[in-house]
Amino acid sequence: MSERIGVYVCECGPNIKDALRFNEVVSYAGGLDNVVFAKPFKLMCSAEGKELIAKDIARHKLSRIVIAACSPREHEITFRKVLEGAGMNPYFLQIANIREHCSWVIKDPAAATEQAKRTIKAAVKRVVYNEALFSKEIDLQADVLVVGAGIAGITAALTLAQKKRKVYLAEKLPCIGGKVGRFAEVFPKLECASCMIGPKLDEVLRNENISLLTYSEIKEVTGFYGNFNVKINKKARFINAETCIGCGACVKVCPVKVKNEYNEGLDERKAVYIPYPGSLPNLAVIDRQHCIRFKKQECGACQSVCPFGAVNYADADQIIELKVGAVVLATGYDLFNAASLPQYGYGKIDNVYTSLEIERLLNTTGPSAGKVLLKNGESPRKIAIIHCVGSRNKKYLPHCSSVCCLSSLKFARLIKKQLPDVSIVGIYSDLCLPGKDSQAFFESAREEKSMEFMRVNLTDALEIKDRNGKICIKHTALAGPAQELESFDMVILALGMQGNKDSEELIKIFDVNKDNSNFLVEENALLEPVSTVTKGIFIAGCAAGPADISVSAAQGMACAGKILSRLEPGEKLKLDPCVAEVNADLCSGCKSCIGLCAYKAISYDEGKKRAKVNEVLCRGCGICVSACPSAAIIAKHFTDKQILEEIKGYCDK
Amino acid sequence: MSKPKIALYWCSSCGGCEEVVVDLAENILKLAETFDIVFWPAVLDFKRADVEALGDGELAFALINGAVRMSEQEYMVKLLRRKSKLVISHGSCACFGGIVGLANFSSKQEVLNTVYKDLPTVNNPCGIIPQEKTEEFGRTIELPAFYNTVKSVNQVVEVDYYLPGCPTTPELITDAIAAIVEGKLSGKGAVLADSRVLCDTCSRRDSKPERLTIAEFKRVYETELDPERCFLEQGVICLGPATRGGCKERCLKGNMPCRGCFGPLDNVSDFGAKCVSMLASLLGAKDPQDIKKIMDSIPDKAGLFYKYSLAVSLLRGKVNE
Amino acid sequence: MEDFKPNIIGFLCNWCAYSGADSAARAEMQIPENINIVRVMCSGRIDPQFVLQAFKEGADGVLILGCHPGDCHYKEGNYNALRWYALLKETLEQFGIEEGRFVLDWVSAGEGDKFVRITRDMVTKIKLLGPLTLRKD
Repeated sequence: MSERIGVYVCECGPNIKDALRFNEVVSYAGGLDNVVFAKPFKLMCSAEGKELIAKDIARHKLSRIVIAACSPREHEITFRKVLEGAGMNPYFLQIANIREHCSWVIKDPAAATEQAKRTIKAAVKRVVYNEALFSKEIDLQADVLVVGAGIAGITAALTLAQKKRKVYLAEKLPCIGGKVGRFAEVFPKLECASCMIGPKLDEVLRNENISLLTYSEIKEVTGFYGNFNVKINKKARFINAETCIGCGACVKVCPVKVKNEYNEGLDERKAVYIPYPGSLPNLAVIDRQHCIRFKKQECGACQSVCPFGAVNYADADQIIELKVGAVVLATGYDLFNAASLPQYGYGKIDNVYTSLEIERLLNTTGPSAGKVLLKNGESPRKIAIIHCVGSRNKKYLPHCSSVCCLSSLKFARLIKKQLPDVSIVGIYSDLCLPGKDSQAFFESAREEKSMEFMRVNLTDALEIKDRNGKICIKHTALAGPAQELESFDMVILALGMQGNKDSEELIKIFDVNKDNSNFLVEENALLEPVSTVTKGIFIAGCAAGPADISVSAAQGMACAGKILSRLEPGEKLKLDPCVAEVNADLCSGCKSCIGLCAYKAISYDEGKKRAKVNEVLCRGCGICVSACPSAAIIAKHFTDKQILEEIKGYCDK
Repeated sequence: MSKPKIALYWCSSCGGCEEVVVDLAENILKLAETFDIVFWPAVLDFKRADVEALGDGELAFALINGAVRMSEQEYMVKLLRRKSKLVISHGSCACFGGIVGLANFSSKQEVLNTVYKDLPTVNNPCGIIPQEKTEEFGRTIELPAFYNTVKSVNQVVEVDYYLPGCPTTPELITDAIAAIVEGKLSGKGAVLADSRVLCDTCSRRDSKPERLTIAEFKRVYETELDPERCFLEQGVICLGPATRGGCKERCLKGNMPCRGCFGPLDNVSDFGAKCVSMLASLLGAKDPQDIKKIMDSIPDKAGLFYKYSLAVSLLRGKVNE
Repeated sequence: MEDFKPNIIGFLCNWCAYSGADSAARAEMQIPENINIVRVMCSGRIDPQFVLQAFKEGADGVLILGCHPGDCHYKEGNYNALRWYALLKETLEQFGIEEGRFVLDWVSAGEGDKFVRITRDMVTKIKLLGPLTLRKD
């Protein structure tokens, strides 16, 4: 095999030139096999240096380039562009690192000279076997699927929705707005949640580029980045969305009463219902789990009373098939299950509430018209708010849930406004007050005397007991009489946040990972917080970890940014050519490689019984290549032969 | 017209490859009909001088089995190369050095000392070790030189075709000879067996999952061996994924895992190294204790991975001797 | 042997180890000569065959450097390297390859000093062991 290699030895100012016997290195390089010439130059990365290479490629009909200079991590990309501009395949370049790995680390010029010679020889031998590689381009879908219509999903959808691109926003509940849609006020300004979120929800409903699919669940996803095929089950509402105006006439006559999950089970709703006053879209829905028609009983009450004929018992689930280029998972959180911590008495002792239950009590659209009341209808006089319930505990949720201290302060301030004489005690071990506004929020609570603070060592050493109708809190980590804290009318548990309980299914459908707290796992916690290892599947908001509204909104927009910048309508997806490739003539289907890929880029074709690499997903790490016992997989640009030649070049005497 | 002449020869060999020729059964008569066997020390009484008397290239082919570690074998192999149009490395010893090649973990001195002095059943009070030249009763008796390093046949002469296996199969021999007769041989240097590894034709392949996380390997006597499931899935080492196919999985059908006697595929330069990568890909261990547990469950790694191929491995045997 | 400058072939992963070696240089640290670095994308790419080929071609030592466990740019490639390294190392003991000739370690992009220490220690050790000689005929 004979090539025409041009070798450039960079002086790098004095950095390389003065550290070794420069001319000796240049003349050595010029004498190597396949080398047409070796030229010294003062600074290869300069405009003149780059021009020189471009001119020489044509002038000397070069087929390969070796640049002996600084680390390839500095300028490999720079010089590849030069080759490309001069009409040579950019992968015909090899860099010999004679600066960082030679001149800068070997003081003795004689030794540095020998090291430079070896390094150049290795690069020269290797480059002969470099192959032309081309970036493939494939068609892409510019449309996007957003799963979950809470804060994160809505901000992602609104940012993404523009001309030439459709956003499908799928939400499993019949209404949008997520948890925040059911809050009364939000910190730090204590502004009305529905006022804040309302305009965004309206925009989602009106935006022509957003196709909203409420009461819908993702059934199946196949394909990969740029070309996902999604099957969505749009559940039957049994209410015609075109004609229903949400007047609620059907709700009044329904004979069935069910625990109302939108009020956290504190009151009841009907089998045909509107989630909560003001919920959007303003439509009723029939809960087929509880409607007696679905238990073969006769009932047509809602249909007969509807002034618009909107009730349709013949409605059916619909499978919708979509082609999208990327997916944003914004499926939100669930509170840690208070019942699994029996020491807090939730579900056994009256007036022990979760944070979400208090949100609903405080909300005028909630079960008590916004009044915080005890179970017996009276107003509480003494309330304890217990922080970190389930959080910061290796047995339950190891993390801090980041929003509960602030929402506890919020509850205190709001309840105090409602009941000026109430006494509220926050029982905590540490306070979490991150960000610009939280400290001020805390100080307002202190100034308003909304809340007193009682610091204890561990909030999970608390025991809540009913004593003659009063709630008594014991701190078991303290000794003797100090154990008994005061008694209260009401206890609010600031429960920790974990990933959505549907995460088990989600990870199977979307091929992403979750942690022990059910949060979806990001690609890199610091620099890739909204990507996952599955290319094209992004995560935002509380689905990925404890987050407040601003973080959820920011992440939703970040996902949109990542998608907008790469999946451009009308453009093609450019693939990195340095990927793995299976030679099906050699592959025996032994499956040694399949489970090793973190990106699921290599898969087993059950029909052909062969492994196959998906070039869109492959990151070029080469793990499958090393594992293959048939040497049937090639790592482009890092082949066995190329690496062997480099070794030989170093070792040749 | 006289029949084409062929020769069969054995170097350091157990005789199994000769057995497999006998296993051609009735087909051996066809062989004798088609060819004139002019040299076959295991079976016929021709002498070295008969080979020396042949013209260069006169033999249609020479089927050579066994590894080369004696000067006599080197001489004969080179002689047969000169006298043959085609040289076929027959069996794992000829192709890769075979089990004989494991001697490359010892020095010549260690081997001779063990065999002639140290073994418990040896009675050699004077500690006599065979010598290349011995004077006795006024005569000089010569023995072939015993080399320090075992070699495959292709490390001594150029080989045209390879029939791997310990032993190979009568079917592969028949196919090879038929190809020679019909002039349908593949390019020079080809291995006359499958072009993929064993898993391709193994009936147990479907039971192998896509990801295994073996915590500890089991020896064949430590567990009930399911005759239908993949051995690796059962936690038992099988070198099938690294081993060229063509043997029709005779060991697996006998409910024993593959030990790699057909050697690697063409693009692999070291069989043992590929066994290492393959087995490592089946492990789940991450911390030192778990890794140690796995390591401890393979008592003789080099002996297992290089059982047939040490002589042609990249290091060829023990270093720094 | 004063003249003996052990030939060490180092396989360094592009993301952590290779950067670590670069950063040693930027901090003006010194390493022994004859540390010959082959860049790969991930320590998981390195094939046991490369190690043996390096020894065969004349290396006196082989070094593999990758990202710290948990930090692999490709998630878990370095665990792959860890597993076959353990298996190959024990296998090579039977070939007579002494402790110190075949080393795997983790170097992050900021650990230039660790890179220097590893290479220096390896060279010191191998200088005492002497050159690696392959089996003669």
